Amino acid sequence: MSKKNLAMSVSIAIFAIYLLIALFAPLLTPYDPFIIAGGIYEEPSPEHLLGTNDLAQDIFSQLIYGTRATLLLGFTGAILSVSIGTAIGIVSGYYGGRVDEFITRTLDIVMTIPTFPLLLVMMMFFTPGIYVTGILMGLLGSARGVRVIRSQVLSIAQMNFITGVKVMGASDLYVMAKHVLPNLLSLVTVQFVFSAQHFMVMGIGLGFLGLGDSNVIDWGQMIDRAYQNGGVINGLWWWLIPPGMAVTFLSLSLALFGYSMEDEINPRMKLTRI
Amino acid sequence: MDIIRIKNLNAGFPTKRGLVRAATSVDLTIREGECLGLIGESGCGKTVLGMTIMRLLQPNTIISGEIFYKGQNLLALKEEEMRKLRGKELGMILQNSTTSLNPVLSVGDQIAEGIILHEGLRKKEAREKATELLEKVQIKNAAVMSKRYPHEFSGGMRERAMIAIALACSPSFVIADEPTTGLDNRTMKGVISLLAEVAKSKSMLFITHDLAAASEICDTIAVMYAGEIVEWGDVDEVFSAPLHPYTSGLLNSLPERGFIAIPGSSPSLIDLPGGCRFKERCACSEERCARAHPLMKEISSSHKVRCHRYD
Amino acid sequence: MEARYLFKRLCYCGLAFIASITIIFLLLHFMPGDYVTFYLLEISRTTPVEVIEHYQHVYGLDQPFLEHYVNYVVAVIQGDWGYSFEYRVPVFPLIGQKLWWTVMIMVPSLILSTIIGAVAGAWSGWKRGTKGDMALLSSMLFFRAIPSYWLAIMGLLVFSCLLGWFPLGGYMSINALFSGYDIFDIIHHAALPILTTTLLSLTGTYYLMRNSMLMTLGEDYITTARAKGLKESVILRKHAARNALLPMVTMIAMQCAHLMAGSIFIETIFSWPGMGMLTFNALNMRDVPLLQGIFLMGALILIAANFAADMVYPLLDPRVEESMHE
Repeated sequence: MSKKNLAMSVSIAIFAIYLLIALFAPLLTPYDPFIIAGGIYEEPSPEHLLGTNDLAQDIFSQLIYGTRATLLLGFTGAILSVSIGTAIGIVSGYYGGRVDEFITRTLDIVMTIPTFPLLLVMMMFFTPGIYVTGILMGLLGSARGVRVIRSQVLSIAQMNFITGVKVMGASDLYVMAKHVLPNLLSLVTVQFVFSAQHFMVMGIGLGFLGLGDSNVIDWGQMIDRAYQNGGVINGLWWWLIPPGMAVTFLSLSLALFGYSMEDEINPRMKLTRI
Repeated sequence: MDIIRIKNLNAGFPTKRGLVRAATSVDLTIREGECLGLIGESGCGKTVLGMTIMRLLQPNTIISGEIFYKGQNLLALKEEEMRKLRGKELGMILQNSTTSLNPVLSVGDQIAEGIILHEGLRKKEAREKATELLEKVQIKNAAVMSKRYPHEFSGGMRERAMIAIALACSPSFVIADEPTTGLDNRTMKGVISLLAEVAKSKSMLFITHDLAAASEICDTIAVMYAGEIVEWGDVDEVFSAPLHPYTSGLLNSLPERGFIAIPGSSPSLIDLPGGCRFKERCACSEERCARAHPLMKEISSSHKVRCHRYD
Repeated sequence: MEARYLFKRLCYCGLAFIASITIIFLLLHFMPGDYVTFYLLEISRTTPVEVIEHYQHVYGLDQPFLEHYVNYVVAVIQGDWGYSFEYRVPVFPLIGQKLWWTVMIMVPSLILSTIIGAVAGAWSGWKRGTKGDMALLSSMLFFRAIPSYWLAIMGLLVFSCLLGWFPLGGYMSINALFSGYDIFDIIHHAALPILTTTLLSLTGTYYLMRNSMLMTLGEDYITTARAKGLKESVILRKHAARNALLPMVTMIAMQCAHLMAGSIFIETIFSWPGMGMLTFNALNMRDVPLLQGIFLMGALILIAANFAADMVYPLLDPRVEESMHE
């Protein structure tokens, strides 16, 4: 197996573990993550693998349940942003001309809008919830991918077979869906993976900033709680480190997958002239 | 006296789909003061041959054989020794002047840097010499143009600038790789006559698919097909009495000779056919063409061909 | 530089700022549950209706759409960015004062990360495929995937808690309260936040520079340079790196948005009294007027960064002058 394939397999394996943990969270957790499961600030023990927090909740169970929120946040955001970004990118690259000019110019301006502070302002108006957060992140992040998709579509739209299909009288929508989109699939997948990574990290960051949904456990809120309640000062590593490591490894696995795939579709090495 | 002698040269690029054999047992010599025209369709390995002489191919290229320049084997030189020859002894005019000039450096600067390096001139003197060179390649207002950037040059002027770069340190051997591609007819004529002028005082390898230009500039012609030389001889003999069916085909595809294209396309350099490489497209192919690979045969002292018809 | 180019870029900056103002205005005007009511009811469930109405009037929420919009735009341009709920001071001077603390972290980080990132990226691209390149690339990509807040927390844990090299946070020691400002003390406090921010932005700069370098090395003019017999070190510096830097100019401006988001976490974790921590406090207090001011300041910073990039770019690439006549 080549190094690249190895990297890809490892990253998929790590991600699959996260996915399984999220799916089977109730079976893996010894306690309900919200209930009082013992004393407060307990150290790790066979009963509480990672001890308990200031509210006497079992940290290990929280960690396991936190996987669900993280994956949902990332995927909601990624699905939305990649769909919007791809759609705009295809329209821009496919129609070209004025449509393209308009979209590109608008994009230039949109890129100077600080999306993260905007997201924070928007969060003030909503009751925090995973889907709401995911959707907001996805909407605000959708401009990121437009350019890459657009330039790829530009080169596809010039290929002969597209002209051929058009000459045969196919409608634009048909051509875009049946001929352009399939050629973008690997690029869109790469974007999806990186977006998911980005939004998971960001979603947990929002939890850390106190914008999480208090009805759901997420790693950001866990870190925040540990941080605010003396987890760092008192060296309660079992409280602070696991959620941070969990998000770091998740992020790493997705990034590794994204980079290996990116490398696959874009070898960047010019073919030799003969 | 031979200035360049290529003996049994092979060059190949490993790719995912297999080894691309861009040059197979090439034997050529260029005498002092001679201009050899290397002709053939695009993708036949002409450029690779030029780049191999300069040793400018990517490091993973597999090369075997010998290339003697004034008696020393270039392929055996250390990279540092080779670097010192480039630009100073061996000049090269790369194809596609639009992308071959650095867009962010002034043209004068790009000519001068070789001079500073090889002749040890100061920057100011080198810039003056660059201006002289631009005058020599007939660029009007050379002093001003020397300070301009490539995008401010027209296609023909860029080509002339490329020639000036190659000639900067008066090399004794120059390789010109498709210097006229992409130019309009009038500009092309100017560049060709300039090159003809250059060819008078230098030894040159002129790589082209423009037969008219080759006939104007060159003393000898080598025809390349699918990585090997199929015909090699004096320019008049090759053009007036071509021996190889491929050469005849090339000549017949000229507008003034009837515009008849050679049927089919060249074989892939990854899996080359056995026997004669041209047999699929050859009007006079016989049974033995599929069986045996033809060898280079000397017809006269100034004409060689690789074809079974002359066995 | 041509006046026309300058004028065009300035117009574009103005347009971009108006776009940001408009977006934040639409949000404030149309979002369900206006923020004044929300805030007042948060303080006390029994806030009288008159009080709410009074404050709605103060914040201009009772105006009709168009009037409200025009007033808002004019006010923002005049520097009247509203009044913070929590700090009870006008937003603009408050942010302006905090901005310097953020600049103190951001500017050194940006300079450091750009220099290190560009040099390392150029080296890596030049040595592509070698063991050194692979090692550098993988460690950079590794750090790039680590969330900013986690990087900051780990930095704090390792270098402050365990090793004790740096203070635990804040911007000066308690002693400074008595002995006055000590510049070295502040630098000592700023060091870890700066290093973290540098690492955060370094990995992106490196990756872009490496990619840009790979693209550049495939260009024909690199072959021309080789054909002249130039030394490899000259080709690297004068031909390859110089051209590879061009796309970086715009990228570094874009990087500012990323850094701004990162600074919220980093300043919060290191208790650094800049805009990031101000944001964190504003979030916890649901101080919407302050948050919208922070957003506007963010927009200004990004626009300024882009403008700076637009001004620097023609100095590096002579082709721009040509294309701007279009």
